[in-house]
Amino acid sequence: MKRTAEDGLGKWIGAAEVALLESVEEATAERFAGLAAGLLRHCPQKLWDLLREASKGELDEVPALENLLERLAESLVGVGRLAEAGDLLRAARHWEVGLAGSVYRQLAQAQMLSGETARAEETVRELLKRDPADLDALRLLYRLLGRTGRTAEAHDVLSRLVELDPTAATAAWAFRERAKLGEAGGRPVRIALLSSYVLDPLIPFLDVECRRAGLSPAFYVTPFNQYTQEVLDPSSGLHSFSPEIVFVALELEDLFPGIRRMPSVDELARSRDEIRGTVTALIRELHARCPGLIVVHELALTGPSPHGILDNRRGDGLSRWVENVNRDLADELGSQPHTFLLPLREVLARAGTERGQSRKLRYMARMRHGDAALRELARYSMRYVKPVKGLTRKCVVVDLDGTLWGGVVGEVGADGIQLGPTAPGIEFVDFQEALLNLTKRGILLAICSKNNMDDVMPVLREHKHMVLREEHFSARRINWRNKAENLAEIADELNIGLDSLVFLDDNPVERELIRRLLPDVLTVELPRDASQLRATLENLTDFEQLAVTKEDELRVGQYEANRLRQALKRSSGRLDEYLHSLEMRADIARARASHVARLVQMFNKTNQFNTTTRRYQTQAMAQFVASPDHRVYVLEVADRFGEHGIVGAAIVREERKTWHIDSFLLSCRVMGLSVETVLLKQIYDAARVRAIGRLVGEFVPTVKNGPTADFYRRHGFRLDGDVRGTQTWILDPRVDRIEDPAWIAVTVTEE
Amino acid sequence: MRTVEEVVAGVFGVERASVDESSCPETVEGWDSMGHLNLLAALEQNFNVSIDIGDAVEMVNVQKIREILLAYGVRG
Repeated sequence: MKRTAEDGLGKWIGAAEVALLESVEEATAERFAGLAAGLLRHCPQKLWDLLREASKGELDEVPALENLLERLAESLVGVGRLAEAGDLLRAARHWEVGLAGSVYRQLAQAQMLSGETARAEETVRELLKRDPADLDALRLLYRLLGRTGRTAEAHDVLSRLVELDPTAATAAWAFRERAKLGEAGGRPVRIALLSSYVLDPLIPFLDVECRRAGLSPAFYVTPFNQYTQEVLDPSSGLHSFSPEIVFVALELEDLFPGIRRMPSVDELARSRDEIRGTVTALIRELHARCPGLIVVHELALTGPSPHGILDNRRGDGLSRWVENVNRDLADELGSQPHTFLLPLREVLARAGTERGQSRKLRYMARMRHGDAALRELARYSMRYVKPVKGLTRKCVVVDLDGTLWGGVVGEVGADGIQLGPTAPGIEFVDFQEALLNLTKRGILLAICSKNNMDDVMPVLREHKHMVLREEHFSARRINWRNKAENLAEIADELNIGLDSLVFLDDNPVERELIRRLLPDVLTVELPRDASQLRATLENLTDFEQLAVTKEDELRVGQYEANRLRQALKRSSGRLDEYLHSLEMRADIARARASHVARLVQMFNKTNQFNTTTRRYQTQAMAQFVASPDHRVYVLEVADRFGEHGIVGAAIVREERKTWHIDSFLLSCRVMGLSVETVLLKQIYDAARVRAIGRLVGEFVPTVKNGPTADFYRRHGFRLDGDVRGTQTWILDPRVDRIEDPAWIAVTVTEE
Repeated sequence: MRTVEEVVAGVFGVERASVDESSCPETVEGWDSMGHLNLLAALEQNFNVSIDIGDAVEMVNVQKIREILLAYGVRG
């Protein structure tokens, strides 16, 4: 029997060889298919040997080649001939025959199982080259990366998986996997969640958003519905966790169960007061024990009003009542710098409440939001997380052709570009208006365009429908050089980091270049459809600030003023001539509560002229301002070109015979003009008048504050000690002297 | 449409080979109460049915899920 079978196989092989070598006709092709099927079943390797030696022309004659190769690959994997299967797939690529992804996946899995991790990875990457969004391939890649200890890449793949499959299930799985992977690097952030319903599923989505922003988050969720106890007990898990930001999500129905039963006008009025009282008391207690930012979700109705269309005409209507309750909360929370109200109704509206909310989830598990709502909520929450961690970006760099207007101005001329009150063109006007609005919040704009100046400037200056004009741009690079170099120069010119830039360019090639060369720059994926430009810009969460200061509003104008100052400097002969011609004025005042926002901004941003680089946040700063043992000074400077705003600050700690200068900072904008002397002299005068014998300045050298190293020495202080990285410099105000520079007119508002 | 085992493997991110009829919250990582809800959503979407709450809490393992789906006229 056995011998007969072997004979038979030998004949088959012979026949197949003959069929391949002959010129193939229709009938022969069918015969071949039959023979191939037989070989596949019994001896796939032999079939592969035959095919491998065939030329491309011969292969073209083989019927249903793709199908045959796929089945052959599967068979080879099935009998463990992984090397041959790999060769076959490579050959298929070479022959330009497209094989189904499932074949590659099978091979990769088999390679993984037999420990051939390098080969498996090769196969998987091949799959991803064909379809970068292949979820199964990505999951395989993730396992391979984990196995070979490439943690950072593994984290990236997890993020990619959640991006491509943004369901709660995938997000939860990715979140669990991260804990196993260990650290990814990135700045740590501690976020807590207090809620009256089950909002745990938000965490995995928030995790992905944080990681995308370069953060390494840790989360704490208060045990379900124990938020009051956790807030009040100073030894609770919440306070031990010491969050930097706390999200408070209270559901209306939990605060006021009666709302589901058409409450009367009186009941509504009473509970409006109760809700306001309860929530503000809770926030007050929380803030007393926890210095972090507190973000409270708005209250929202969970379905249409039972009053139907009469709701907004009745005294006991619910929609207006909810508006009022939220307005109460907005008033309370808006009056303090450390509390915010998150516009939950707006966020849920974007997700779509029907998609967002599943009744089944509510009844079964007191969960409220579906996948879509959780995703939107996580994204919106980043608008609070980013400014707390100093991730706010300050400058948007835009391309011109195809971004600010339609068409290429160098080809169609200024009259040919699409920009005007009708479509096409109106979408670009709208986009420019959104960019203009950003400048009013203190965000800078810059141009980076491959163009000739002569083509561009007439449009910027004279085109009837341009919303943005020359003066709105704080820097421009309009040339034919590499955009990465241009962006780096723009950052340099504006004296900001690359991580402060957002890059908008309609050309995907330019975007890919910048993503690769300047990964710190945020390169936004722009839609091909220009009508979505404005929405894309408005969806960015990178421009938020916890307060808009006067300095922010002045900022764009200041760059213009600086240009004028530079021009003056170049035309002045000598330095002191220049300094006098500036007509500088300085005002020094004791800081009040209204200065806290600007002080916190300065303390956290200033690096070069900063004696001790202590990053005080809002609560600490407010305490210094209010403390009887401390003096906090703010220095405001202006010259003939304009105001700089508050550009200097100092914190002084008073003891009986000694004053300590805890912090002294100056904005780099006014370095080199001796304004720091003015502020130091004020401290010196105040000490001298009170017969203080020792004025002590601390200096902690860092990588960035080199320019401050000789600050105290220049003013006559003597180095007294250098202990554990902190230098102490001493002056005796009764004996030594500090003089104001002659070119600055000083006024003092001392309280 | 995939099988129940495939849906379970997909939702919890585990190898298909590790899922069988006896798979349940004790043996599958991530199949806690939150995971059960994700699984429920995935089953409903995959098999195009809306599962009763009463039935949802009876789905204690893969075999039971299959039985319950059969009662909805679905073979998984």
